[in-house]
Amino acid sequence: MEKHLEHKFVKELEDNQNIVHKICRLYTNDQDSHNDLFQEITIQLWKAYPKFRGDSKFSTWMYRVALNTAITLYRKSKRSIKTQDFEGVSFKIASEEYDNTEEKQLSLMYSAVKELNDIDKALVFLYLEDKNYKEISETLGISEVNARVKMNRIKDKIRKILNP
Amino acid sequence: MDELELLKSQWHSRDEELPRLTYGEIYKMLLKKSSSIVKWILFISIAEIVFWTILAFSLPDSSHEFTDDLGLHDIMFTANILYYIVFVFFIIIFYRNYKKISTTDSIKDLMGNIIRTRKTVKYFIIYNIAGASVMMLAINIFYYTNQDLVFDLMVADYGVLSTMDKQQFITIFFWTQAIIGLVFIALIVLFYRLVYGILLRRLKRNYEELEKIEA
Repeated sequence: MEKHLEHKFVKELEDNQNIVHKICRLYTNDQDSHNDLFQEITIQLWKAYPKFRGDSKFSTWMYRVALNTAITLYRKSKRSIKTQDFEGVSFKIASEEYDNTEEKQLSLMYSAVKELNDIDKALVFLYLEDKNYKEISETLGISEVNARVKMNRIKDKIRKILNP
Repeated sequence: MDELELLKSQWHSRDEELPRLTYGEIYKMLLKKSSSIVKWILFISIAEIVFWTILAFSLPDSSHEFTDDLGLHDIMFTANILYYIVFVFFIIIFYRNYKKISTTDSIKDLMGNIIRTRKTVKYFIIYNIAGASVMMLAINIFYYTNQDLVFDLMVADYGVLSTMDKQQFITIFFWTQAIIGLVFIALIVLFYRLVYGILLRRLKRNYEELEKIEA
């Protein structure tokens, strides 16, 4: 039984690992911390897995647990994010089809998002993941109205970070 | 255009840049439990040595007066020092095992480390149980070969009546020694079976799981 569950879990996590990697990228600044956070999220997901009943999608459930883990861990360590660390993880681009200025803008945007506090980051992340406000509010356990208000404030914050 | 929209429009197309872990790599993360088991082995062994040290210091002087009177002070002292040196040596090995296991990143190495850890813990247990047994046996052999001295000391210092039949006293004395010794060793064995036994079984289970992925 335990074995069967374990394999099912690993398989599903393998299929949905992009979500966790994106969260790790957003919350950490180097490869080691990225791996640590990934590992921690994996363990937390596994611990919570027996309670996952399948009435929501695996990925939806995963967003909640993974973001909670990232937020809690982030709080615990009170890591301060230094701007100069961004280079290593900033948005790299493989192809040349995007012109340089857009690329630069994207990179700046990403850095701005990384400067947000842990909760705001979670909100932006879900927004970027194309979640609607209903899903965002459910995942983060806040009301839909609250999510909208917060999102607007975050957009202002980002604007300020980008145009000081 | 909203700044965030720009990022959003590119967000999903960047997925290929993300690292990709294999099934085995993710599975192994669940097995990192091993490193926390090894950490517990280390902590418990340290707690144990602290416990024995506190116990040794809190025992009243009278508890080793008898052995001192028999002229065993130096031997007991040396034996204790030796015991501690070996104990500390084991703690160092446990620490190294822990370090190794928590930094391993291949399944094969992890399996090797688990085997090594289990072995050291087993040696540690054997050392402790055998050490206690040999120590007790040696002391009693000494008592046995020096029966007269033991009896005289008991009469002189420990309130044993000189009117008591010497042979009778010796019989009672050794029976008591044997029973206390056996109970003591049984307690140690029980302790190791319980505490380290559980940890060793968990390590073994992890090992078997790893074996399956490697196969």
